[in-house]
Amino acid sequence: MTLQILINGILKGGLYGLMALGMSLIWGVMNIINIAHGAFIMIGSYVTFFLFNSFGIDPFLSLVFSVPVLFFLGFIVQKHIINMVIRAEIFITLILAFGIEIFINNTALLIFTADVRKVKVAYGASNFSFFGATIPYVRLIAFGFAILITIFLFILMSRTKLGRAIRATSQDLEGARLVGIKVSRIYAITFGIGTALAGAAGTLWAIIFPVTPTMGGGLTLKSFVVTIIGGLGTMLGPVIGGLTLGIIEAFGTNWFGTTFESLISFTILVIILIFMPKGILKSKKE
Amino acid sequence: MRLIKTLSIFLLILIFISGSNGLLFPKDIIKIGSAISFTGKHSRSGKLYIDSYNLAVEMINKKGGVKVGNKNYDLKIIYYDDKSDAMESSKLVDKLISNDKVDFLLGPYSSGITIPDSLIARRFRIPMIEGGGASGKIFNKGNKYIFGLLPPAGEYFKSTLEFLKTLKPVPGSIAILYADDKFDLSVGEGTKKIAEKMGFKIVIFEKYSEGQTDFTSVLTKIKMKNPEIILVGGHTEEALNITQQVKELNINPKMLSLTVGPSEADFRKALGKDAEYIYGVASWSTQMNFKGAIFKDTKEFISVFKKKFGYDPDYHNAAGVACVVVLKNAIEKAGSLNREKVRSNISATSLDTIYGKIRFSPNGQIQGTSIVLQILDNQVFEVFPNTNKKAIYPMPAWKKRK
Repeated sequence: MTLQILINGILKGGLYGLMALGMSLIWGVMNIINIAHGAFIMIGSYVTFFLFNSFGIDPFLSLVFSVPVLFFLGFIVQKHIINMVIRAEIFITLILAFGIEIFINNTALLIFTADVRKVKVAYGASNFSFFGATIPYVRLIAFGFAILITIFLFILMSRTKLGRAIRATSQDLEGARLVGIKVSRIYAITFGIGTALAGAAGTLWAIIFPVTPTMGGGLTLKSFVVTIIGGLGTMLGPVIGGLTLGIIEAFGTNWFGTTFESLISFTILVIILIFMPKGILKSKKE
Repeated sequence: MRLIKTLSIFLLILIFISGSNGLLFPKDIIKIGSAISFTGKHSRSGKLYIDSYNLAVEMINKKGGVKVGNKNYDLKIIYYDDKSDAMESSKLVDKLISNDKVDFLLGPYSSGITIPDSLIARRFRIPMIEGGGASGKIFNKGNKYIFGLLPPAGEYFKSTLEFLKTLKPVPGSIAILYADDKFDLSVGEGTKKIAEKMGFKIVIFEKYSEGQTDFTSVLTKIKMKNPEIILVGGHTEEALNITQQVKELNINPKMLSLTVGPSEADFRKALGKDAEYIYGVASWSTQMNFKGAIFKDTKEFISVFKKKFGYDPDYHNAAGVACVVVLKNAIEKAGSLNREKVRSNISATSLDTIYGKIRFSPNGQIQGTSIVLQILDNQVFEVFPNTNKKAIYPMPAWKKRK
């Protein structure tokens, strides 16, 4: 029983981590709280649903499509919209992101209608036993992908020229400019990577759960909580935050009842803000 | 000045158009209004009612319409999409009454939306007949203008529990899982009360937030207690998720029964083979045969319906058709379009329809109970109280299926 709850929590936590990764990256590098993050996740889900439904493309394979589509979209949004207010206070960019979210959600409502859709794969509910606990294949594979993508991003950020440029921009703007980094371009790429990660999360989400145009709001909140719990500015933060939230939610809903899921996540948020205001990872170092 | 001039001309045109609109509608039309879910989480179920309302109206108009005195009226339904939102729905009902001047109202889908809608109907004293809400909370407000064709929510699982009592050995443990909306609260609490009275042991009694997607937590708890029976009061999407996750976690109850879902063709289509052996409840099934008012009998209704819409009707559809038939019958009996007269005639309804014999309790809810269904060979069969096909109990374990 305990093992089963732990596994439920870990599998969901991995997905939470991937969801928050993009938000954390954009927040950390550009100091923008991307309220539209959930909306980008939603678009990723619909890319998967559309490809599966119209062309029968396996949902896991559709990652190859949802990631570039969302990267491109994020790149454009940053370059042509957010860039105009990038030096303004955080409050202004927050409102702009909020506006983008409303725009995306309502466009999606118009195009897709409010119907709930489901990606129905043949292997949907198959599972295997593991020391008395049951593990659904789909969730395990989705978890695996979430971790793989996180590792991939980690390598991108620490080993490549682009990654170093992004980190330099985030650490010292003046310095980055002095050594010849084109900041506006780096910002657009970073935002693109952030939304591409949202797209990947959306794809994995669509495989496990149904998809609706309004699903983004809740996911933005979850990503926000995970980002705070994990702490800003590290690649590992969202993963730790996601797993923490996933596991606590799994045990919490088991003890208190399923209706308390949101209450549990926000209680954790408040507790973390009081005792570890910089998130689990950062606070430990000090 | 020019602006004012243009504006007033524009206004005049507007008045002219809307005035002539009244002329375009000949007098011999009875306008019925319905704010119902075309989109949103209830859109699947909403469509069932929309299809049925349309079919019933089409049939009635084809056969000469509604006879009031010596005059024949055609029925016409004005729809609005409530987007599955209760606030939106009650606003639209208000609009139907104030702007579109409808004569009578047909109900929306789901108890949560029917409650506010029915209160608007009462405020304007316009009778509303609904087949989509069964919560006791619709009918305990002393509202004389609402009539419901679904049996009381609290008794939805009564026939299922009676069915369990006939089994040997009688299953001992039951888990009840229900959504926290008005209808399913009534289902959950009612089922618990009846089950305890009948001597069943309830090992898990838990509610979840309406629209929830992930049930692994509560299902893990259920797996641990390993109840023989799982009863679920929820909506189609949740039913889909729960069934899939029950399989994901390899939980093998002897019976999994869901209030909404199993009887719908969409549910079977979405789940495919995994829908097999699942139990459901309904106030009606396609195997029943009743004499009808606008259709000859249930059989004819089913064949006409299937031909027109391409799917098997279920109890939602039958109830939807019956709503319109009850209204037609009451108007004809009243011999006028006077709403009060029609209302008292609805209340006194005693009518054979393809949905069964319809009589209302004093609170406006239909008299009757639900039946037990099971999905066998991708079809829905009534297994209790009438045995159209022998129930397969216990359900085979997931891993032992082909």
